[in-house]
Amino acid sequence: MRAQTPTQDDLYQEAAETYGTALERLARAFEADPEERRDLLQDIHAALWRSFAGFKGRCSLRTWVYRVAHNVASSHVIRRRRTNSVALVGLEELESMTGESTVVLEADRQHALERLMALIQRLKPLERQVILSYLEGLDAASIGEITGISQANVATRIHRIKRILARRFQEEEHDDE
Amino acid sequence: MTNESPPNNGPQSIWQSQKLEGIRMSADEIRLRARKFQRKILWRNAREYVAAFAVIVFFGFEFWRTTDTVTRAGFGLSSAGLLYVVWQLGRRGSSRNLPAEMGLVSGLEFHRRELERQRDLLQSVWRWYLGPLIPGWVVLMVGMARTNPGHLRHFGLTFTIFNLFAAFVFVLVWKINQRAARKLQRQIDELDALRGGELERPHGG
Repeated sequence: MRAQTPTQDDLYQEAAETYGTALERLARAFEADPEERRDLLQDIHAALWRSFAGFKGRCSLRTWVYRVAHNVASSHVIRRRRTNSVALVGLEELESMTGESTVVLEADRQHALERLMALIQRLKPLERQVILSYLEGLDAASIGEITGISQANVATRIHRIKRILARRFQEEEHDDE
Repeated sequence: MTNESPPNNGPQSIWQSQKLEGIRMSADEIRLRARKFQRKILWRNAREYVAAFAVIVFFGFEFWRTTDTVTRAGFGLSSAGLLYVVWQLGRRGSSRNLPAEMGLVSGLEFHRRELERQRDLLQSVWRWYLGPLIPGWVVLMVGMARTNPGHLRHFGLTFTIFNLFAAFVFVLVWKINQRAARKLQRQIDELDALRGGELERPHGG
């Protein structure tokens, strides 16, 4: 007997259950204002539900979910940039910026999270997608599939992200040295 | 498919363990949201048409009031030009990405398409924005020169300054758009460098 093809609602339900928290974190990284963020998250969910009408299962559900979410969020950033004068930067520029103190992660997790969020929100949309995927624990191949950046470039970017994070966020064991 | 577990106090752990609101949406809420989105697009387009309609009503009034045929033709052409601009703005101005396409293309490709669309819009500003307004303007000016309203002193000088200023505004708008298009092209080139030279085709859904 053939397995029943999941409906649009089934796919959405599965995606929302599995990736709901990751999507909420993603919306936080793309929008600082709580009201706008709620709106963005709802837009992402609505786009996901609508997108599943065209899902044929030729890529993984995770890749599909992240692509839709990142693309909706990036469009949101591009739209907001027309009214927001804050210049977004790339990882190279972020790495060369100095003057910010290092946060000891274990000492104040909330402060560290706020600093991490501020750092992410300064990045250009595509760079933001890479750092977010890294923070969500995705490997280089998956990040490449979602973002479309070549494997070599993803590897370079992850290396750079690690360097930036290490410089700005000191883990507790380094304190004991 | 994921990296090894992050250390308890590493940035990945801080990120993944942040407190969330736990927002959930039911299927009905999702459908409502999708419909709201469609309505928003419809209203935005309607607003643009209403604004253009107000100007056209004014032109129509002037068309009816004037007796000079050339001036009348000027108002008629200006209205037609304006309608064309608004139609083009609705057609080219907003993103046409459908949610299903968002799942098919990577972030880079999606971003690139959006930048390309905006670049083309700015580059072709003569064709769809400035150009269509010129015939109406020129004919209107010819009509005004022909009828030469007696209440204006030094009509020739005023007329010349007025038209030079209008030409200056047109060229300025064109230059600003060209500059913005060049900036977008640089961003597109940056994205192409990230892609590593491979041309991407939409991935399977």
